Amino acid sequence: MAKGTLLLTLLLLSFPALAQRVKAELACAFTGTDFVYDCAINLKRGANPLSGAQITLSADMPSMPMMHNVAPVKAKPGRNPGEYEARLDLEMTGEWAVKLRLAGPVRDVLVLNYVFDESGTRPVLRRSRTAPRK
Amino acid sequence: MDDYAIGVLTNVGLVSFVALSAYLLLLAGEMSFGQQAFFGVGAYAGGMLTAMAGLPLPLAALGAMALGAAAALLVALPTLRLKGLYFAMATLAAAEMMRILFELLHLQREIDGEPVGPDGTQGFRGIRWVLEHGIEPEGYLILVWGVLLAVLVIVLFLENSKLGATLRAVGADPELAASLGVSVERFKLGVAAAAGALAALGGVLYAHHNTYIEPRNFDIMLGVHSLAYALIGGLGTALGPLAGAALDVGLLEGTRLFGGARMIVFGGLVALLLVFRPRGLLDEKVVHWLRARFS
Repeated sequence: MAKGTLLLTLLLLSFPALAQRVKAELACAFTGTDFVYDCAINLKRGANPLSGAQITLSADMPSMPMMHNVAPVKAKPGRNPGEYEARLDLEMTGEWAVKLRLAGPVRDVLVLNYVFDESGTRPVLRRSRTAPRK
Repeated sequence: MDDYAIGVLTNVGLVSFVALSAYLLLLAGEMSFGQQAFFGVGAYAGGMLTAMAGLPLPLAALGAMALGAAAALLVALPTLRLKGLYFAMATLAAAEMMRILFELLHLQREIDGEPVGPDGTQGFRGIRWVLEHGIEPEGYLILVWGVLLAVLVIVLFLENSKLGATLRAVGADPELAASLGVSVERFKLGVAAAAGALAALGGVLYAHHNTYIEPRNFDIMLGVHSLAYALIGGLGTALGPLAGAALDVGLLEGTRLFGGARMIVFGGLVALLLVFRPRGLLDEKVVHWLRARFS
């Protein structure tokens, strides 16, 4: 009974942390070789950096879904907590949806839309056709 | 099998659904540039049903297929009166209208502190049913190909039935088919609905594979490719669209045989085939020859 109560209390206490989704940011630098980018990934859960995750990166072009098969790569841990590094070999410049498959302390899939060109990457900003309903 | 091979094979499987959908209409004598719209309807409906309504994937797939069939019927009712290129243009216009509707669709609810659902041009994130049910990429590849093979068996069985003969008769000579008592218009509406449901099924599987969809996924590029796969693979058998998809995504892309020039090679291949083999690699002649040889 006491064990059950303790377990329930721990679960309730940890619930806000479980509910917090992992957020990711990507910054890539053009290597000088056609369509090859060195990327730094920052993972955060809430305000805290998330270390120890195993990340597999792949990419697809939103305007040509399923037509480009970029070889998935595994990210290595970076210098700082929550930081990871990977090299992406894309097929062309333009907008790519980079998929991060997370394993380890958290299992999730995150998709980040970035524009890749010779200056590096920038997040895709799209104009909405209408204002979203509140 | 490594992650890359799994990714390529899953994509070949997924794109085969929309290619098969275009193939069904080609057999009925209609060239549609708009099957990507029903793929999109399936993706959005399936994603909303699992991520927002909490339905299991099989039920969501059935719901999405029903919606895909209804949407295809809605497009086919006014457009099937048109012939040839006019029908092709009308399907393209309808598909673009559908894509713009996806851009206007804002329908989100908060789940685990995160907004989930379509958010217009920003797309629809968080379609996590597959992840939440512990299905790994290898498992999902088996699921996609299992469903595709089941669909192929049904289509191949139907092709060899009286229904298949009627379908080819309607496609080859609608006036002659009508003179034999076939209600050509109703028959084509049925084929359009079935093709819509099939594309929608592919869409559901795509959305759950990707976990994220956006209106741009369902633009003209996917429509052109799916039609090209059906035409390249051949109109002699339902295996044709699969062969077309495997040739482009699997061989040209998978092996990186032509590197960045792949799209040029692909375009050239389509042009050459249209000149020398207008009904594709596995056309009726080849299929008859293979049947005679191996049966």
